[in-house]
Amino acid sequence: MRSVIVLIICLVLLAVFGPMLAPYDPTAIDIPNRLQPPGGQWLLGTDALGRDILSRLLYGARWSLGLAFLVSVIGLVGGTLVGLTAALGGKTTDWLMMRTTDTFLAFPELVAAVVIAGVLGAGTGSLIFALTVTGWMRYARVARGIGLSLETRGYVVQAKLAGVSLPSIARWHYLPSLVPSLMVVWTGMFARAILGISALGFLGFGVQPPLPEWGTMLLDARIHMRSSPLQMIWPGLTVVACVLAINLAGDALRDALARESEA
Amino acid sequence: MLKLEYVSVTRGKTATLHDVSLTLAPAKTLAVVGESGAGKSTLLAAVLGLVRLSRGSVTWMDDAVHRCHPALVMQEPRAAFNPALSLRRSVGEPLKARKLTLDKARLERLCRGLELPPDLLDRRPSEVSIGQAQRVGILRALIAAPALVLFDEPLSALDAVTQKHTARLISELQVEEKFAALIVTHDLGYAAAHSDEIAVLRSGRIEEIATAEAFIERPQTDYGRTLRDAAFSLGALEGAA
Amino acid sequence: MTQALFGLLLRAAVVLAGTALATFALLWNAPGDPALAITIARYHSVVSPEIIDKIRVEAGLNAGFWTAFQSWIGPILQGDFGNSSVSGRPVLPELAAAAFYTVPLALAGLAIGLVLSIPLAIFAAKRPGSWIDRGAVAIASLGAAIPAYWLGLLLILLFAVNLAWLPAMGARTPAHAILPALTLGLGVAASLTRIIRSGILEARGQPFLPAFRRRGVSDKAIGRDHIAPHAAIPVVTVFGLELAFLLEGAVMVEVIFARPGLGSFLVSAIEARDFPKVQAVVLLAALLFVIVNLLIDLFYRMIDPRIGERDA
Repeated sequence: MRSVIVLIICLVLLAVFGPMLAPYDPTAIDIPNRLQPPGGQWLLGTDALGRDILSRLLYGARWSLGLAFLVSVIGLVGGTLVGLTAALGGKTTDWLMMRTTDTFLAFPELVAAVVIAGVLGAGTGSLIFALTVTGWMRYARVARGIGLSLETRGYVVQAKLAGVSLPSIARWHYLPSLVPSLMVVWTGMFARAILGISALGFLGFGVQPPLPEWGTMLLDARIHMRSSPLQMIWPGLTVVACVLAINLAGDALRDALARESEA
Repeated sequence: MLKLEYVSVTRGKTATLHDVSLTLAPAKTLAVVGESGAGKSTLLAAVLGLVRLSRGSVTWMDDAVHRCHPALVMQEPRAAFNPALSLRRSVGEPLKARKLTLDKARLERLCRGLELPPDLLDRRPSEVSIGQAQRVGILRALIAAPALVLFDEPLSALDAVTQKHTARLISELQVEEKFAALIVTHDLGYAAAHSDEIAVLRSGRIEEIATAEAFIERPQTDYGRTLRDAAFSLGALEGAA
Repeated sequence: MTQALFGLLLRAAVVLAGTALATFALLWNAPGDPALAITIARYHSVVSPEIIDKIRVEAGLNAGFWTAFQSWIGPILQGDFGNSSVSGRPVLPELAAAAFYTVPLALAGLAIGLVLSIPLAIFAAKRPGSWIDRGAVAIASLGAAIPAYWLGLLLILLFAVNLAWLPAMGARTPAHAILPALTLGLGVAASLTRIIRSGILEARGQPFLPAFRRRGVSDKAIGRDHIAPHAAIPVVTVFGLELAFLLEGAVMVEVIFARPGLGSFLVSAIEARDFPKVQAVVLLAALLFVIVNLLIDLFYRMIDPRIGERDA
């Protein structure tokens, strides 16, 4: 749990304060100094329009990490609500909710996101919508599964007997038991959202240029692969580092929970 | 008056309750005794409306039971409380759900009656003993002054000394609070000492119903006699106490 | 069993209906005039506003969402996916031609994934916690974090640009398929290694195995008769997941390597706002996934009849 919190704080700090560390304006075009190699005045070099790559990476954190955080949190809230409604709402509600979840799970999430974002037209709004709509189902599954296992717990029976409203039961008796498992799902979905945002950016359906987003930076860099190969390395490396760190933190969290439930 | 008329419950293909008819007058105590698997838990679930009846009816004062807001004291004291919440919060739940305000004097009186120290309620379920947790369970059951309280093996998780103590506290509170108590238990000694009437449940059927004294004196069925002899050969003095 | 089968079929039908509804809702909300899009799809030219209005009425677009949905789904249910709004040619043959490129690529990727992951997972699981095991897990974690498009670009950079061993763009010769298949295969290998490894470890942890060993059953026989069936359930689950992964991967890989195929078919259709093509890919892919999931569910029930008793 602690490692996850520390990591999340680091990433938030990066997204919030990263741009302040940027030596240059990430969108300032400087054609005479285009495609500069790393080192010297431009620590990671410049891109085809002479923009400082390090500054673009640092500003990009706001888009790539910030949007991924937003998308994964909306998914967390929405999916948990669906799962809890299914677990508490009786047989028909459960069936409806779970078939809806199945429907959204029937299709690879990233492909669905590409289609949705593409059809609705490129832009940050469609990007957020596409990744949220395709990113809530795992939370719903987990929340429902744990919710059903709580149904026969003494305190849940007592609460129902006392006439406590279902939203209240969900909030006070179900949610506390869900939080650890939802956190594990959330780390995975946060990582997936980072990958999804950069993938959509790379395909041209996501954050639009000249905004510095890691996927769109890769798209720019691809054209100049021969003359300036390192330009392509940096954004990819940043994505991999973030995703790897989040996944490892998620694994650690899951192992810690497994140990706790064994003890 | 709690009235069960020809209550039958089937689960899958087997009948777990078969034509059970019982009555319990206000402020009285009825103990339903039987071995495990006799259908005691199903009987409580039927009274609380948690299972569908395949036949028969359950009423309180000729109205649906849930209207009188019955309370339940469970067998496993700790599991009856949300581990993440303070006991005070759990105890206040029946009031909050019905938008009733907490009567501080009543809470204090009940706490005194249950011999619970005032600050105990601020702890979590894992921070109190099983016996204390069960007394908090009784406190929660009584806080909203219900007319009917169901007890599901209320003593079986407790040790012998705590059992006697808790049984005495329940009886004393019943005199003050005048609730009707439906106790299901396998402990005939407890039933005999603390109830007005005893009903013997076996394989989902009522074998016999009698006042506690009459049953102990002379059970009407062979099964009743077996039960009585088994209980009192083990602890005759305890039962009479 | 018949009841279970009926339940599964009902679920599959509901999921398909839901996908169709979601797809139509998406197209309904796409920017632009749907009547114009249909008109272009049908006549493949700019026509007079009267004809567009006529189409609007015909397609039930004035009558609201549900009527429009019904007139949209009608031909699709009969297998008619319409014509491309760009080329004017029927969608299905073009789709089939694209699948002709993607299926071998996906199979090659899957094969590479299996060839890499199975030995690695077995070696790793032989001594849990050893450096081989840690290394395998580390490689798998890294592989799971590398996006397919970046991996593809790195492979191009190394093998096509720097070493000039392999061609990168297009699909003219079989050699053109090596880098795309490798990109897919490395991704598959990363996820399979983790899953097979933990599957083996879990199966080996089953309480009955020491008893067999004491009775003198050989390690080989234990592996074949007891560990393998236990590992089979996760493996089948993974196949369902990998199928999804392969389609996702195909989208990225075909774009990077400028290969024809379902992925580039879909992306170029979206870019051209060629909605008949988009909906054909989406609906047929959904059909494929629903059928695969149905088969997987049936397989589970055959291996372990207890599965599905609780699950509604």
